[in-house]
Amino acid sequence: MQNIIKGLFILLTAVTMASCTKEDNFDGPDAAFKGRLLDNDSKENFLTETGGVQIKLEELSWSATPTPQYIPSKIDGTFEDTKLFSGHYRVTPVNGAFWPVQGVEMDINGTTTQDFTLTPYLRITQFTHELEGTTLIMRFKLSAPVETGLPRILDVKPFVNTSEYVGSGATISQYTDPNKIDINSSWSADIAAKTYEIRVPNLKAARTFYARVGVRVDDSFKQFNYSQIIEVKVP
Amino acid sequence: MKNKLYISIITILAVLLQPSCRDLNIDPLNVIQDKDVFATDAGVKGYLATIYRALPIEDFYYRQEGSGFNRQWEHFYHPGALCGELVGPYGSTYDGAGGFGYWPYGDIRTVNYFIENLPVYGTGFSKEQIDAWLGEAYFCRAYFYFALAKRYGGIPIIRKVQHYPEQSLEELQVHRDKEVDVWNFIGDDLDSAYNKMPATSERARANRYAAAALKSRAMLYAGSIAKYGSENFVAGDARDQGYAGIPASAAAGFFQRAWDAAKLLEGHYSLYRKKTDKELNYVDLFLDRESTENILVRDYSLTTGTAHSWDATMTCRFMTADGLSRAYPTLELIERYTGQLPVVNADGTPRRFDNTSQLAQGLEPRLLATIYFPGTTLRGKQFDMQRGIYEHFTGTAADELGQNPPNRPYRHLAGKTETLFNGMRIIGFTGISTDNDDLTRTGFYVRKYIDYNRAQSQCGLYMSTQSWIDMRYAEVLLNRAEAAVELSNMADARNVINDIRDRAGAPLLTGAFTIDTVRNERCKELAFEKQYWWDLRRWRIADKILDNTKYHALMPYYVADEQKYIFLREFEPFQRSYNFEKKFYYEPIPGGELGKNPNLYPNNPNH
Repeated sequence: MQNIIKGLFILLTAVTMASCTKEDNFDGPDAAFKGRLLDNDSKENFLTETGGVQIKLEELSWSATPTPQYIPSKIDGTFEDTKLFSGHYRVTPVNGAFWPVQGVEMDINGTTTQDFTLTPYLRITQFTHELEGTTLIMRFKLSAPVETGLPRILDVKPFVNTSEYVGSGATISQYTDPNKIDINSSWSADIAAKTYEIRVPNLKAARTFYARVGVRVDDSFKQFNYSQIIEVKVP
Repeated sequence: MKNKLYISIITILAVLLQPSCRDLNIDPLNVIQDKDVFATDAGVKGYLATIYRALPIEDFYYRQEGSGFNRQWEHFYHPGALCGELVGPYGSTYDGAGGFGYWPYGDIRTVNYFIENLPVYGTGFSKEQIDAWLGEAYFCRAYFYFALAKRYGGIPIIRKVQHYPEQSLEELQVHRDKEVDVWNFIGDDLDSAYNKMPATSERARANRYAAAALKSRAMLYAGSIAKYGSENFVAGDARDQGYAGIPASAAAGFFQRAWDAAKLLEGHYSLYRKKTDKELNYVDLFLDRESTENILVRDYSLTTGTAHSWDATMTCRFMTADGLSRAYPTLELIERYTGQLPVVNADGTPRRFDNTSQLAQGLEPRLLATIYFPGTTLRGKQFDMQRGIYEHFTGTAADELGQNPPNRPYRHLAGKTETLFNGMRIIGFTGISTDNDDLTRTGFYVRKYIDYNRAQSQCGLYMSTQSWIDMRYAEVLLNRAEAAVELSNMADARNVINDIRDRAGAPLLTGAFTIDTVRNERCKELAFEKQYWWDLRRWRIADKILDNTKYHALMPYYVADEQKYIFLREFEPFQRSYNFEKKFYYEPIPGGELGKNPNLYPNNPNH
C-alpha cells in the first residue's frame, strides 16, 4: 500500500514537472547596440558625463508608437547595451547639451554599432588651470559652433570629485554651487571675448581631486557642455 | 376518444402559449431606474452627492503621486514637500512630478449622463430648479476638466455620453483636443454654470459665485501657461500640434476673463475679520464654519468615516494622540514674509536671545498664524525646539557654517530627548533630533488648519473634522490682482493686495511693485493650501527655483556658558536637493490609456 502511494506521488511529481517544460519560442534579448557620440568638429568623443546624453530607442517592429527605452551615455562619451531584443528600431540621441538631431531607423541584431555626430551648444576652449595653495583656479573661454537660435546661457559651474567620474551628477556640492558664475544672457560678442575664471577655494590638503567646468543653456534639458577632466593633486 | 385527446392537447398548448405572447420587458424592481433618480428631489440630490464626492478637490488627503485623491492618513505627503514649501518625506521632486495617472472620464460620463437625462425625466420640476442643478453639473464638469488640463494640457473633450457597442471603436477612440480649446471649454462650462445657478447654495455645494471663482482660477492658469509656456517649454510633437502649449497671443484674453470672473464676487464675499487680534483672526479663518470668506468647502465627519488626520500628522506626537509628523515649513518660505530673520548681529556674530520665543516678536501676524515658531504653545505644551547645546560659542555665524567650524568640538547634538549634557536636555521634546524626521527638521511646524481647541486625546488618526476650504475669497482676490498686473492695471492690484495685507496685519504696499510682489503675496497667503506646486508650474519657474536646490532650517542652540540662545541658518539635516525637469510642466498621459487608445499620441514632450 505504502509503495503504491509513494509511486503515485512520484508519478504526480513527474507529471507536474513535465507540464512546466513548454519551450519559450521567442528569442531572448541577445542583441547588443553600442557606439560613440562624436563632436562634429574634433571628431573626438563628445564631452559629457554619465547619463549626460540618452540614446532613445523606439522599437518599430510591433507598433508605430512604442514606449521608448533609453541607453544612458557613459562618462567617456560612448554608450552600450548588451541586452536588447533584435528588431527594427528608431534611434535618437536626446536629453543632452547639443543641437537636436534626426533619429536613424535601423535593424539591431548581433552586435550593432552606430556612431552619432553631435554639435554642442557651447564649447569650453583655452582651458587652463593652476593651483594656488588650496585654491583651484580654472580659466577658459566659451565658443558657440552655431550662434543663431542658441538658447539663453544660464551659468558655468565647477565640478570636483575624488574619482575621475566627475560631472553634475557626481560632484562635491560645497565646491560647486557656491563657486558658480551666473551668466543669464543670450550669446553675445562680450561673452565670446571674455576669459572666465572660476575659483574653488579650500580644497582639502593632501588629496587628489578630479575637476572640470560645465556650461549650460536654457533648452529643454538643461544639461552641461563640459571641459576635459583634469587631475589636481593638492599638496 | 382520440379527438378528445387531441383537443385537450391543443387546449393545453394554447393556454401555455398564451403568456409567451406577452412582452416580458418589465423594469426590474431591485434596480433604481432613471425615472426614480431624475424625477425625485432625493434622487437628484443623491446623484449629485456621488459627483461631489468624486470631485478632484485637493484637500487634506490629496497627494501629487501614489494614492492621489484616495483617503489615507499620511497628510505629510503634501505637494508642498516636493517643491520647497515644506521639507518632508519625499526624496526629491521626481517622486511626484509625474503625477499618478489621474484620468476621471468615468466621473465625466456620470456628469454627462446627468446633463442629458435630467431634462428628460425631471419634467415635474420647475425650470429654475432644473437650471440650478444643470448649473451644478456644468460646474463639476469644468472642475474635472480643469484638473485634467492643468496636468496634461490638451485632452479629449467629451461633451456627450458615449455608447458601446452602439458606437464603433473608431468613433470611441477619440483624439486629443488642443490645449487652448480645452481651457476655453472650461471657461464656457463655467459661464453656463454661472448663468444657470442661483447666488446661494447649501453648504459644500456650488453656487454661481463658486463657478466664477473657479473660472478666475482656471483662466489665470490658462493665461500664465500661454504667456510663460511660450517662452519656457520642451520641444516636441505634442507642442507642435497644440496639445501642449497655448499661443502667447491668447494670454491677454485669458487674463481678462480671469479678472472679469473675480470681479463678479465683489460685494458677495469678504475677507474674514471677525476677531480684532489679527493673528487669532487668521487662525480662526480656517476653523470657523461660518467664515464669510468661504466659497466652496468640503466637510468631514466621524459618523460618515470621512474624518481626516491633519491634527495628528502636522504637529508632532508630543501634542497629539496618535500618528506622527514628517513635513515642516522651510526657512525659505518664512523668508518670503520676513526677509532674512534678525539672527545675526552687524559684526557677524550670532545674536544672543534670552529665550527662543523672542525670535517671533514683531513678526507679521499672518506668518505666526501660519507657522508655529519656537516658544509658542499648543494644547498647553510648548514648542521647545532646540537643535543642541554649545558649551561656548565664539566668532561669527558665517565661520561656524563654513568648512572649518571653530566651535564644532563644543557642540552637542542628540537623537533622543532623554540625552543630557550637564543635566540639561540637549534637544527639545519637539525636536530637533539627529535620529529621524518625526520631529521637525527645520525648527518650525505647520499651524494653518491646526485645530487648537481640540483636546490632545482627540487628535488621533481619522479624528479631525475641520473643513477644507477649497475656494476662499482671498484666493479670488489674488487671482484678480495677478490678472490685473498681467493686464497692467496696477491700481486695482494694489487695492486688492492691500485688502489682504490689512487683514494679515502686514505693512501695506506703497511704492512701485511688480508681478513678483503679487506672486509672493500669493505664496504667503495660500501657504500649505496645495496651490504652490501648481503656481510654480504655471509660472514656468519651477525649473529655476528647483535647480538642484537645497533648503534651509533655522536651528536654535543653547549656549551653556552664556545661558543664552542663538539661531544658525543651516541646511535642513537631510540636505535633500530638489530638481524640476522642464518636461514635468506637463505630466505624461497615463500609459494604460495610451494602450487603449493610440489616438492619444503624441504623448507630451519627452515622456
